[in-house]
Amino acid sequence: MEQNPEYVIEMLHITKEFPGIKANDDITLQLRKGEIHALLGENGAGKSTLMSVLFGLYQPEQGEIRKNGQPVKIDSPNDATALHIGMVHQHFKLVDVFTVLDNIILGAEDTRMGFLQKKDARKKVQALSEQYGLHVDLDAKVEDITVGMQQRTEILKMLYRDNEILIFDEPTAVLTPQEIEELMQIMKNLAAEGKSILFISHKLNEIMEVSDRVTVLRKGKYVGTVDTASTTKEELSRMMVGRPVQLVVDKSPAQPKEPVLTVQGLCVPSRIHKHDAVKDVSFTVHAGEIVCIAGIDGNGQTEFVQALTGLERASAGHIELCGHDITHQSIRARSQAGMSHIPEDRHKHGLVLDFTLEQNMVLQRYYEPRFQNHGFIRFDAVRSYAEDLIRRYDVRSGQGPVTIARSMSGGNQQKAIVAREIDRDLPLIVAVQPTRGLDVGAIEYIHGQLVAQRDAGKAVLLVSLELDEVMNLSDRILVMYEGEIVGELDPKKTTVEELGLYMAGAKRQGKERASA
Amino acid sequence: MAFLVRSTLIYAVPLMIVALAGVFAERSGIINLALEGIMIFGAFIGVLFVRLVQQWGWFDAAKQAGDWVSLQGFMLLAMVTAAALGAVFSLLLAFAAINLKADQTIGGTALNLMAPALVLFLIRVIANQNTLQMATGDAASWFMIKKTMFGFDKKAQLGFFASAFLDKVYLSTYICILLFIVLSIILYKTRFGLRLRSCGENPQASDSLGINVVKMRYAGVTISGALAGMGGFVYALTTTNCSSNGDVAGFGFLALAVMIFGNWKPLNIAGAALLFGLFKCIAASYTSLDINGDGVFMLANIGLNSNFYRLLPYLVTLLVLAFTSKSSRAPKAEGIPYDKGQR
Amino acid sequence: MKEKTPLLQRDGARSVLASLISIVIGLAAGSLVVLLVGLFNSGMGLKAAWEGIRLIFLGLFSTGRNATGGLSFGFNPVTFGNMLFRATPLIMTGLSVAVAYKTGLFNIGAPGQYLAGTAATLFIALEIPSSAVPTWIIWILAFLGGMAAGALWGAIPGLLKAMLNINEVLACIMTNWISANLVTWVFDVSNLKNTVENTKTAYIYKTTFNGVETPKMFLDKIFPGSQVNGGILIAAVLAVAMYILFSKTTLGYELKACGANRHAAKYAGIKDKRSIVLSMAIAGAMSGAGAALYYLAGNTEFFWSTYQSLPATGFNGIPVALLAVCNPIAVIFTGMFMSMLDIAGQQLTALTAYNEYITDVIIAVIVYLSAFSLVIKLWLGGRAKKKAGPKPDANAEDPAPVPDAAAGKEGEE
Repeated sequence: MEQNPEYVIEMLHITKEFPGIKANDDITLQLRKGEIHALLGENGAGKSTLMSVLFGLYQPEQGEIRKNGQPVKIDSPNDATALHIGMVHQHFKLVDVFTVLDNIILGAEDTRMGFLQKKDARKKVQALSEQYGLHVDLDAKVEDITVGMQQRTEILKMLYRDNEILIFDEPTAVLTPQEIEELMQIMKNLAAEGKSILFISHKLNEIMEVSDRVTVLRKGKYVGTVDTASTTKEELSRMMVGRPVQLVVDKSPAQPKEPVLTVQGLCVPSRIHKHDAVKDVSFTVHAGEIVCIAGIDGNGQTEFVQALTGLERASAGHIELCGHDITHQSIRARSQAGMSHIPEDRHKHGLVLDFTLEQNMVLQRYYEPRFQNHGFIRFDAVRSYAEDLIRRYDVRSGQGPVTIARSMSGGNQQKAIVAREIDRDLPLIVAVQPTRGLDVGAIEYIHGQLVAQRDAGKAVLLVSLELDEVMNLSDRILVMYEGEIVGELDPKKTTVEELGLYMAGAKRQGKERASA
Repeated sequence: MAFLVRSTLIYAVPLMIVALAGVFAERSGIINLALEGIMIFGAFIGVLFVRLVQQWGWFDAAKQAGDWVSLQGFMLLAMVTAAALGAVFSLLLAFAAINLKADQTIGGTALNLMAPALVLFLIRVIANQNTLQMATGDAASWFMIKKTMFGFDKKAQLGFFASAFLDKVYLSTYICILLFIVLSIILYKTRFGLRLRSCGENPQASDSLGINVVKMRYAGVTISGALAGMGGFVYALTTTNCSSNGDVAGFGFLALAVMIFGNWKPLNIAGAALLFGLFKCIAASYTSLDINGDGVFMLANIGLNSNFYRLLPYLVTLLVLAFTSKSSRAPKAEGIPYDKGQR
Repeated sequence: MKEKTPLLQRDGARSVLASLISIVIGLAAGSLVVLLVGLFNSGMGLKAAWEGIRLIFLGLFSTGRNATGGLSFGFNPVTFGNMLFRATPLIMTGLSVAVAYKTGLFNIGAPGQYLAGTAATLFIALEIPSSAVPTWIIWILAFLGGMAAGALWGAIPGLLKAMLNINEVLACIMTNWISANLVTWVFDVSNLKNTVENTKTAYIYKTTFNGVETPKMFLDKIFPGSQVNGGILIAAVLAVAMYILFSKTTLGYELKACGANRHAAKYAGIKDKRSIVLSMAIAGAMSGAGAALYYLAGNTEFFWSTYQSLPATGFNGIPVALLAVCNPIAVIFTGMFMSMLDIAGQQLTALTAYNEYITDVIIAVIVYLSAFSLVIKLWLGGRAKKKAGPKPDANAEDPAPVPDAAAGKEGEE
């Protein structure tokens, strides 16, 4: 213990298997004291599994973990905490109805005769929050504070437990560009104070900016560890994917034709607060163009899409689709008027997970004469249609049309939805975060499909939180901030930084902006 | 009026304590639909305990001597026994819901079917009839606290307060109220309470902080079972003259409704229980209800069918649920089996 | 509770096996209680316990006691016919619970719907004068009336669930008790109380009082002396109809989609609220029809002062449905099994010192096991899989939504 070993944490030759899949196959990761070490890989590369092993949530079949050169055994999060390892999970592990302070002390409470003593804890947390610039309201309930503040709460949770090794699992996914900037600074501060940081991400820009070294995983295997200073984005992405990747979507300039969708002064009431979640939104989408609504999560996009597709009622405004006023139409009537919808949440809205793939493939059209006869389903027609879609859109599953949707991988579930919606061949496609949580291959595929639909003369309305997707795919960008469209940008003429300023509400165009 | 307060309390207190039983289970993340069954079981156990002890003659001397303090102790023992066995019975639900990740609705329903079946089967075997009663005497003569015990004369006219709270009451009522307060404090002010509540909201978070979700949920369900078992006995003692017949008339479900109406919070639950207790009290004794003490039985004189008063508590429950469902907020993770693998 | 796994045809065998395991364990648990009570009760002893256990398993074939006082067994057309007769309402309430469960709703309101059906049926069957209207028309009206009343009573919790998102279990419990009190009330003020046979109190006239009864359809020739009638055939036809509705039609597709994922159904343009109400109404209609078939038999009478108790037939629909894994065709058979248990309970009361409540204990154990029948099925599946090797579709990118894999993992730790 007296020696000063180079590595504070070493994970040597870790192998973790789940039934039928090797999530981690002989992976080695060494973390130096005081460094920011990025762990890079696609979804499904095994990053989260590896971190869960380090955090004691999973036990590896093979391999060894060392702290300061000494082998240690981590059987539970308690062991990890005892070794001063802490983690900010991708999905925050916070109790919504508790206060920030209660969340921080939960699991490490001071008590006297079993009763909670919060005074000392409050002092300690206040000191920490000042030391590292982590501003939070200790008495606010977690459900009432911003995502950024929730993340700072998570960081304080780790610091309160005197953790030395801090794991950040995809911490920037939910943040605004400005919040990301702030987080990067916090991470650098922490490292400067001697904390060692593991930073899990698949975003190359951030890794290049903040990390000292990068370890790359691919399909559960170890690819290599490189110094950030001596590598490039292209090199890293090649390591991550295993082949050269097109970071830019290949597409010709748009050729917009007649308007397909016109939204006029749309307002949607909020479910959470008394104000409108969507305020006076107006725009037009033409045939043959991809229009993207960009914005940070929770700025009214969800409510807007629900009002557009009929899941929620609008309180004011008009929606016109292919010349028909559909403002007060039912969901099915909108669908029949020419709207297909790739929903935001594929598990909640997109699929009936306990239905078979073929049943899901006709979810939008089981009632068409093609698939039913006097109320009786034509099973042969459903089967052959599903088989056709599966073949043409390359949807992979265990048992073809009779696979239960729940048992399919996320990428193939999404492909099935995209196939179903695109194949309805309707003039408007509303695609909400169509690539969320998918790997690079599936993302490329879905982007390609959307561009192909555009070129075939469809109007595409894309709603996305991913800046890269927004910049690469769209022909026009509308930025939504607090329920309003605050700017219309041309992706060829703008920068990510400018887009970020609009998204954060720091910049906005006047009302007189040319409403297309 | 004193009578109204007294009998409202008699109905409200079991409701309150059983609703709190529901809170402990649901705040830990398990829907305890079996409250009704556990109450039935607890009532049976308590009555059986009283009956057996009477048969063994342990408290005969005390009864003869009019030593009402020991008799209260006897009743306390019966309450504790009912609570203990109620907790054991609830383990069936805990095991199915926590270890086997079973459907909690069906599991609870199974217990609700099991309790009356088992109880009736055993009552038939033990007593060769459909109701199990005390071996000798009745609840009033053995356990009821009367004004004479405080040295008042039998004919003495007491003030409103004393006649409502000191005469013809059961000690169990006050024990339940005390327990209700203590447990509410535990739920909000102790480490155990904080951790228990976290398991019902976000067990993944609890687990990541080293809290044993399985243990916490077992604790929640067991406390729930103990309270419901005890509540069942208190119900039998105070409303059915310490007898058990495999039925508590939907009281366990009313308690669930009280819990929802009270938004899973003890203070609101206490209020809701009083409201429901009042309706139950009206339903049970509207014919003899003399509200302002002038000898006129107002409700009976209105001339509504007795069935109307009997269905009133259930109808009110339904209406109250209809009006409060939008604003009520259940623990987020209730009813969802905790699976370590899911992140 | 929100998302139920629908029953997959392909693992039908596993379901049957899981149900059989539940039945065997349930019967064994009942036997154990009988044994323990026998051993600890001085008046009974091992011999009595053994008699009790034999009756639990073979009650249907009991023919009473022989000359030497031992139990005798054999085919008894009366008990057999009675078994079929008692199975009729159980099949119907079983269907009621099953169709609701298929659409993601737990219909514990069958008792209330059954009572509503009872009241409507009896009023129509007894109040329409048979002197003016042919009895077969009265029968049909009474049957449809019972169904309609059940449907209405089922639709109430459905509406509360659809519009206000009130848990259907609580709503059903409350409507059960309201129904019990209402039914008592309407009969209390009616003129249908049986005053002719003064040996009885609080009973309603049999429908034969007005000349209305279900035709026997030749079943009385097969099981002479029993209560059986054509009702069992009608129940079977309704079961088949439910099977067709839920497996073959677009309406069934909509109702199931709504039950499995209300949000996705809504997204696909299915009217989710209408579907929930409709599901509960259909479920209620089945319970109501069960009551109609039971009380139109002509040889049954209704105890009207029922405000303190709910009909067991309603609750027993739950085990009938769960044992049948909610397959309407299988409900026919599990309904008969429950009815067999019923008969066994009667024999226990008649022939031994035990009583019929032991069958309720058995039923409760079976329901308890049904709560984790999915676990039993996965366990059975896991055993099959170990022999067959790993699953083909294991290259899942996000392992979270793969319950099979998760459960398999559990098993190996």
